[in-house]
This record gives sequence, C-alpha cells and structure tokens, in this order.
Amino acid sequence: MIRFENASVTYRGGVHALKDLTLEIPDGQMMVIVGLSGAGKSTLIRAINGLVPPTEGDVIVDGISVRKASAKQLRVLRSRIGMIFQTFNLVKRTSVLNNVLMGRLHTTGTVRSLLGWYKPADVEIAMQALERVDIVEKAYARASNLSGGQQQRVGIARALAQEPSILLADEPVASLDPPTSHVIMRDLQRINRELGITTVVNLHFLDLAKLYGERIIGLRAGELVYDGPGAQADEHVFRDIYGRSLSAADVMGEDAAPAVAL
Amino acid sequence: MTGHAGGVAARPPKPGRSLVLPVGTFLFLVLTWASISEEFGIGLVSRLSTSVPIFLARGPETLAALLRPNWGFLPQTVEPMLETFRMAVIASVIGCGVALPVAFLASRVTAPNLAIFLADRGILSVVRAIPDFLYALVFVFAVGIGPLPGIAALILFNIGVVAKLQSETVDGVDVGPIEAARASGAGRLQTIRWAVLPQVLPHYVAYSLYTFELNIRASTVLGIVGAGGIGRLLFREYKFFNWSNVSVIVVELFLFVFVIELVSIILRRRLV
Ligand SMILES: Nc1ncnc2c1ncn2[C@@H]1O[C@H](COP(=O)(O)OP(=O)(O)OP(=O)(O)O)[C@@H](O)[C@H]1O
Ligand SMILES: [Mg+2]
Repeated sequence: MIRFENASVTYRGGVHALKDLTLEIPDGQMMVIVGLSGAGKSTLIRAINGLVPPTEGDVIVDGISVRKASAKQLRVLRSRIGMIFQTFNLVKRTSVLNNVLMGRLHTTGTVRSLLGWYKPADVEIAMQALERVDIVEKAYARASNLSGGQQQRVGIARALAQEPSILLADEPVASLDPPTSHVIMRDLQRINRELGITTVVNLHFLDLAKLYGERIIGLRAGELVYDGPGAQADEHVFRDIYGRSLSAADVMGEDAAPAVAL
Repeated sequence: MTGHAGGVAARPPKPGRSLVLPVGTFLFLVLTWASISEEFGIGLVSRLSTSVPIFLARGPETLAALLRPNWGFLPQTVEPMLETFRMAVIASVIGCGVALPVAFLASRVTAPNLAIFLADRGILSVVRAIPDFLYALVFVFAVGIGPLPGIAALILFNIGVVAKLQSETVDGVDVGPIEAARASGAGRLQTIRWAVLPQVLPHYVAYSLYTFELNIRASTVLGIVGAGGIGRLLFREYKFFNWSNVSVIVVELFLFVFVIELVSIILRRRLV
C-alpha cells in the first residue's frame, strides 16, 4: 500500500510542486493521475520511489518511510517498484535482453554484475518478462533498432523483471501514436489485473484516463482536486480539474480506441 | 492556440553578446605581436632568404638519400622497433586501463561526490600539463636508461589524455538510462557498468587506439633522452647524416601507424 501523509515537495528555487497531499493507494489498484502540465503529476510519481523525496510530510510504501529510509533501504524499496518512462530510457547501444536484465541488478552481486555474469534464473525471469509483453523475439536485437512502441514494451519488461509489487508509469504513451498507445495501455492493464501489481500512471489524454483508470485523481497546482472512480469522471469533472473548458487537444480520439463517451 | 489572454507576449532580449568581435580582435593583436618579433613573421622572411639557398644546395642530396632507403639497415632496426612496440602495448594497456575508472570519477554524471570530482579533475590537469619527454627525463634520472622510464612516462601521458577525453564523453551521455537504473534499485557501480559504459565504450576504444598510436610516435622523442625504443637508433643515424637509414625507420613508423589506423577503423565499425 502507498500512503501520502501530508506530503509536500518544494523544489530548490521554491516551486511548490506538491502541497500537503494525503492519499492512499490500495494494493492492486490501477490509478491514473491527470492534471495540466506543471500540476505536479511527475513529482507525485517520483515521490513514491524517492527519486524526489517529500520535503514535508511523508510517503509510506509497504510500511517504509521514503523520507526516513537510509540509502540502502531506499534501494531495497526501489527494487520493489518498477518504473516506466515517457522516453523509454533504454540503453540504445546494447541488446534488448541486456536492458531487461537491468531489472535484475538489485539481486545480483557487484562482481557478477560488473562481469555481466547473470544467473540463469535471472536470464529466465528477463525472458519471461519479454514474453509477457510479446516481444521476446527481439531479445538479441539492439534496442536502437526497435520502434517506439517496441521500445516501450522493453521498458515495461525491464520493470517487470524486477518482479515488483508496484509499477509507476510517467506518461508512458506520450511519445507514441494512438493505436500504439492503446497497445501499451492494454499491456499495463493486463499486467495490473493478472499479476495484481499496483499501477500508478500519468496520462494527459482524458479519454485514455477514463478508459484505463480504475480510479482517477486530479491534480491542480500541486493539490488534489478530484478523486473518484474512472467510470464516473465525466466532462464536468475534467473541466474542474483543468480549471478551463476542454478542447480536442485533451483527448486522443482515435478510431483504434474502443468508443468512449466523454 | 487558446488561453493567451492579452495578446502577444513581449519578446525576450537576446541573451549575452556575441564573442566574435572581441575574440577576433584579440587573435589579430596576438598575431601582430608575434609577427614583429625577430624569429617569426617579418624576421622569418630575412632568415629564409639566407637559409633557402643553403638548403637548395644540400637538399637534393639529402632528399635523394631519404628516397633511397637502405634496406640492408633493416635487420638492425628490428630489435629496437620491437622494443618500441612492447613499450607502447604495456603503457597503453596499463594507462588506458587506469584511465577508465579515473574518467568516471572525473565526470559530474558518474562521480560519487563533488569533492572527488574536483580533486580528480585537478590532478588530471596537472598530469596533462607536463609533457611526456619531461616525464621521461625525470624517470631516466630516477631509474636509469632503458625502456622502463619510457613506459612509466607513456603511462602517465596515456592516463592524462584518455581520462580527459573519456570523462568529457561521459559528461554527454543520455541520463535517461541512469535514472532508470537508479529507479530499479541498482547500485552506483552497476549503474555505471550497464547504463553508462555501453554508451561510451566505442569512444573509449577509439581513444585507446589513438593513444597507442601516439605512443609509437612518442618513442622517437623518448629514445633521445635515453628512455628506450627506436628513438635512440633514429637519433644516432640522424647525427651521422645516414639519411638512407633514417628513411628505413620513418617508413617502418609510417606502416605501423597506418596499420593501427586500419585496426581502429575496423573495430569502431563493429562497435558503434
Ligand atoms: N527538478 C526540478 N527543479 C525545480 N522545479 C521543478 C523540477 N521538476 C519540476 N519542477 C517544477 O515543479 C512543478 C511540477 O512539475 P511536474 O514535472 O511534477 O509537473 P507535471 O504535472 O508532471 O507536468 P508535465 O505534464 O508537463 O509533465 C512545475 O512547476 C515544474 O516547473
Ligand atoms: Mg510530467
């Protein structure tokens, strides 16, 4: 379980990116965060794995305080949290398998990992992760030779290889075209349902948020302005979150999407 | 676009001023100052007028000797040439090997903290400021004539060059994979190994081969100060005006550098 307890994040320079946030995300939930650019969505996600620790209050993940954790504890905590990025963040010059095996570094000794001498069991876990996102045939291809959608699936496989209990995804489809976006979102949804992994996703297309979010929270200027089931979020709700009327730019609206009324 | 209330925003002022004019003026002044001295520029013209005729008188003879390598001299060059080669191999392996971790400590992206980063950068600039033949002189003085002081000098030279180039390459890596590794709970060394090294390995190989080539060439100078290699022989033949013998060594060095260049091209094509 993830619990924000009056958590605030103030960046150096004085930007209050998160303000006194209290929030509970139960195990196994698929939660989507929406909000305008600069609302603090990325900050919220990064507070969960301590990439951006809260400056006030605290975030408790599976009973561990992100703010008070030692460097060692934080690494253990991070190993249980997979992360997926907008720009995939793969090492392009190496193989897909090597990228996915990065998810096994946390259980691999320093000498072994320096030599690239992964245990067969770890390679097996990496291969299974690739199979789960249906891209195992590219295991020995160079990451740079993959399309955007394929790279993001490798990114998901890398996170899955950690065998995490939580998955964080910061705008995972913002660099992808609409049909590919749905493929990736369905992958995440399937993983969430089949493996019961708590999933927190930032999305800026409202139709995607409504379609895939079991629960949606809305952020505006670092504050929680909406919290409710995805099915109930209608146009009025989103207008409230954004503080302005909606436009065509706020929805992905592609034929490949199963029809959703907003 | 919507939401731009109140019309067009003011354009920002152009940041800073162009450096073209001040730098250009400075360069022009330095060049002028350098030219009006005795030895260069204007002085050089008058000097050339006396030296060119002398050269023209002696030149054809020298040139002819240079173009007619005395291949009978070749067997004598084999041993010192091999010594040069062995020196360069040892100095490159050790120097470039040490330079890799030193480079990671000298980049802001991979250094564990600011103190280590600054200390490493500082030491590196001192190491690089001292020329290789000066190292050789000091080591010859310390341990005596032979290849050992030459190797020691080349190692320091290689560390200085490779660590600097490599650390600047590390500065420019894509930090996305580093963030991903950190977020997965990987340690610092693991992150460097798997998120940074694959990005900079091709450069490292290229820099290492380049310093190996520089080491072969440096042997000509090192030999003069008694630090082993082909340089001693080259210098001796030069002093006796045995241009046909000098020519053999020059051809050998040329072939050497050429082969290294070929290997470098092939390796880089495979690695990039
Ligand atoms: N490293 C940082 N240093 C200083 N300020 C930052 C930093 N990162 C983010 N901010 C600021 O914090 C606020 C929230 O940023 P955040 O990245 O969380 O927003 P976001 O909702 O993810 O926006 P976007 O949709 O554009 O990604 C913004 O005002 C941003 O400028
Ligand atoms: Mg963001």
